[in-house]
Amino acid sequence: MDDVLTETVPTDDLKRFEKVYHEQLYKNDVTPKAQFEYAWCLVRSKYPADIKKGIVLLQELYKSHDEGQRDYLYYLAIGNARIKEYSKALSYVRAFLSIEPGNQQVISLESTIKKKMDKEGLVGMAMAGGVVLAVGALVGLGMAVASKKS
Amino acid sequence: MDDDILTTLKILIIGESGVGKSSLLLRFTEDNFDPEQTLTIGVDFKTKRLSIDGNTVKLAIWDTAGQERFRTLTPSYYRDAQGAILVYDVSNYSTFTKLETWLNELETYSTKSNIVKMVVGNKIDMDNREVSREEGVHFARRHQTLFIEASAKTKDGVQGAFEELVQKIIQTPDLWESYAIGNNFQVGNKDHPAQQSCSGYCSLI
Repeated sequence: MDDVLTETVPTDDLKRFEKVYHEQLYKNDVTPKAQFEYAWCLVRSKYPADIKKGIVLLQELYKSHDEGQRDYLYYLAIGNARIKEYSKALSYVRAFLSIEPGNQQVISLESTIKKKMDKEGLVGMAMAGGVVLAVGALVGLGMAVASKKS
Repeated sequence: MDDDILTTLKILIIGESGVGKSSLLLRFTEDNFDPEQTLTIGVDFKTKRLSIDGNTVKLAIWDTAGQERFRTLTPSYYRDAQGAILVYDVSNYSTFTKLETWLNELETYSTKSNIVKMVVGNKIDMDNREVSREEGVHFARRHQTLFIEASAKTKDGVQGAFEELVQKIIQTPDLWESYAIGNNFQVGNKDHPAQQSCSGYCSLI
């Protein structure tokens, strides 16, 4: 089942908001609204390259546009978590919670991110274990071959 | 562990900013209330298991921001939802008037034509009521939706709102049974005789 870190943007939406953004970019007059909407779509893409682009756009907004700060921080956390930049994601979460300590939505995002890290930590270890086994097997095979030749 | 789950249902919560969508959800999922509930950013998500008539379903609930600034993007979360909770604030008449817009929004963007709708008049604990219960009932009847009045603060009606909605969805197997049945007209299969023509929620109230 999808959650905020796995659901993806419909392609049509991404294209639609991309078009608006590019039209404004062409006129050299990008509104924070258009940039945010496009970035929101990008960080929900299934492609890491899109997500990274979305993160750049959100960082720009965060520096230049005061009004939507909390929105930018939230989606910066989501974007980074989606490309597995967990420590960055959590630093955005912490930045948010230092301003709004009781925010349920962000607290629950934090726990979703941590759960995902835990899960992947185990998967990572299992993979590392697998590699060790494979290397061991190769070494064993090599030794067997070597001993046969001699 | 998930073996005993009948199905997972996608539920949306929509309505104007400040009517208490997130508070209803917090009350329902965690039996909690935050008097300083902050404005939702974009879309929030929570899950909850619910047992109804011996069936356990898992609810994936998408709580949308009511603020105008998110309006253009929230509809992309509507796809495949089987149920929608439309919330207004009984102490703020304009949030009730806006329900019409939210229904239109739902008609436009939801991908399931028989999506089950529940209208919830929240904040009945408030002294300064502006929308009478009768007006709410009338609206719901006119638009063929379920209806309940509730207070996230006092718990009144909250559980009932979700239970009734889920019950209606379960009674509308087209909405959640395998995709095979989804799109073609299979009226009158063995378990569900041909009486689904109004998706089971016309006769309510």
